[in-house]
Amino acid sequence: MLEFNNIQAGYGQLPVLRGVSLAIEKGTVLALMGRNGMGKTTLCKACNGLLETTAGSMRVDGEDVTGMPAFKIARRGLATVPQGRDVFEDFTVDENLCLGGPVPGAIYDWFPALAPLRHRMAGTLSGGEQQMVAIGRALARKPKVLLLDEPSEGLQPSVIHEMGVVLRRVVDDVGLTILLVEQHIELVQALAGSVAFLANGVIAEQVPVAVLSDTLNDAEGPVHRHLCI
Amino acid sequence: MIEALPIFLDALSFVLILVLVASGLVIVFGMMGIINLAHGELFLLGAYTVVVAQGLGAPFWLAAALAPLVVGLAGLAIELLLVRFVVHRPLDTILATWGLSIAIKQIVVLAFGPGSHSVAVPIDGAISVGGFTYPAYRIVLMVVATAVIAGAGYVLVRTRMGLLARAVIARPDTSANLGINTGRVTQVSFAVGAGLAGLAGALVAPLISVDPQMGLGFLVPAFLAILVGGAGSMTGLVAGGSLVGGLDSLLGGWVSPVLAQITVFVLAILVIRLRPGGLFPGRGRRP
Repeated sequence: MLEFNNIQAGYGQLPVLRGVSLAIEKGTVLALMGRNGMGKTTLCKACNGLLETTAGSMRVDGEDVTGMPAFKIARRGLATVPQGRDVFEDFTVDENLCLGGPVPGAIYDWFPALAPLRHRMAGTLSGGEQQMVAIGRALARKPKVLLLDEPSEGLQPSVIHEMGVVLRRVVDDVGLTILLVEQHIELVQALAGSVAFLANGVIAEQVPVAVLSDTLNDAEGPVHRHLCI
Repeated sequence: MIEALPIFLDALSFVLILVLVASGLVIVFGMMGIINLAHGELFLLGAYTVVVAQGLGAPFWLAAALAPLVVGLAGLAIELLLVRFVVHRPLDTILATWGLSIAIKQIVVLAFGPGSHSVAVPIDGAISVGGFTYPAYRIVLMVVATAVIAGAGYVLVRTRMGLLARAVIARPDTSANLGINTGRVTQVSFAVGAGLAGLAGALVAPLISVDPQMGLGFLVPAFLAILVGGAGSMTGLVAGGSLVGGLDSLLGGWVSPVLAQITVFVLAILVIRLRPGGLFPGRGRRP
C-alpha cells in the first residue's frame, strides 16, 4: 500500500503541499484530482523522491521511505509514469523497457501493439505508443505501487479508453496499487475505486468513484466544487 | 599523389589525436553538459603519469595503461569534491573548473618545474609506404586511437553500462525513478571521461614536449570539435574532429599556422551559426 501522513513540500519559500494525508490500500486504485496549481504534480514529485518534503512521512508497502533519494524509493517498489511520458526518444522501445531491468514477457502481453515496434526509436512513435512505452517501462520493474501522473494528457479519446482497459487488466492480473493523478473523468471512472480532491495543498474531500459518477451533473457535487472554476 | 600522402597521414594522425583527446570531453561536456575547463589538465596529468612511471623504470606501455587509471581516479575525486556541487550552475562550473585547471598546473610546476620533459618514443623506426617513410609510432598511435574511439563508441551505444549512462545523462530524474543510482552513474561517467583524457595525454606524450601548458593547446580545438560536430554523439565528434583537426593540419602545410587557425575558427563559427546543434546534433542533458 501507499501511505502519506501530513506531507508538506514546496519550492523555495513557497509552500504547495500543506499537510497531505492519504492511504491507498494494496491492489486498489485511487484517483487524485484537482484544479491546476493545487499541487498534484508536486505530490507526485514528493512521493517519488524528486522533491524533498519539509514535514510528514511516507510509506511504500509498509516501509518508511521518507527522505530517501528517488532511486532508492524506486527500488523499494514505487514506479512512476511521469507527466509528459519522458520516454528516451533516442532509445529503441526495447531499450526503454529494459532500463528498469530485464523486460518481463508480460509487458508485450499487456501491450501487444508494442511488440512489432520493439526495435523502433521511441521518438518516432505516436503519443499513445509512447505512453504505452512509459507505462510498460514502469511495469517492467515489477512495482508494488504505480504512480501515474496525467497519463491521458495529449491523447485522443480512443487511446485513453484503450489505456484504461490495459491498466484495468494489469491491476486485476498483479494486484497493483495505483495512485492515478488525472483530469480525465472517464479514465478515472474506468480505473479508480475512490477519488481524492486536492485543494490548496490538502486533501479537501475523498469519495468513492460511484459518488463521483452519480453526481457528475450535480452543481453541488464534488466535481463541480473541486474542478470547476 | 604520393607526395600528398605524408601530408594526409599527418592530418589523419592529428585528427585522431584530437578526437581521442575530445572523446572524454564528449562525455563530460557534450553529453553531461559539464563545462570542464580542467579537461586539458587531465590530459596533462596523463602525460605526466608517463613521465613519473618511466622515471620509476616502468616501460612506456605499462605507463600508458596506468595513466587512464590514475587520471580516472583523479576525475572521480574531482566529481566527488567539486563538480557535483556546482554542476547545476554553469557559470560556477566554469569558474570552479578554471580555478582547478590553474591549481593543477601550479601543482605540476611545483612538483616537476616549469620546464618541459620528454618521453622516449616507445617504437623506434619508420614504416615505408609507397616510397616514403613514416614514423612507426605515429602509425601505431593512429591504430590505438581508432580502437579506443571505436571502443568508447561501442560501450556507449551497445552495452548496458552505456545505456544507463546515456539515460542518466539525458534524463536524470526519469532515470532515478527507474531505480538507477544516477549519482553513481554520473560519477563513473565523469571518471571515464577523465580517464580517456589521461590515456590521450599518455599516448601523445612521446610526440610533444610535456610541460605544464600542454593542456591548453588541445582543450580549445577539442571544445571546437565537439561544438562543430554536435554535442552528445561520437559520430559528431569524429566529424567535428575531422573538420577542425584535418583543416588545421592540411592548411598548415600551405599557409602559416596562424592563418590556418584563423581559417578554421572562421569556418567553425560559420558551421555553428548555420547549424547551432552542430553537424550531427546528438541529445545531451536536458533541462
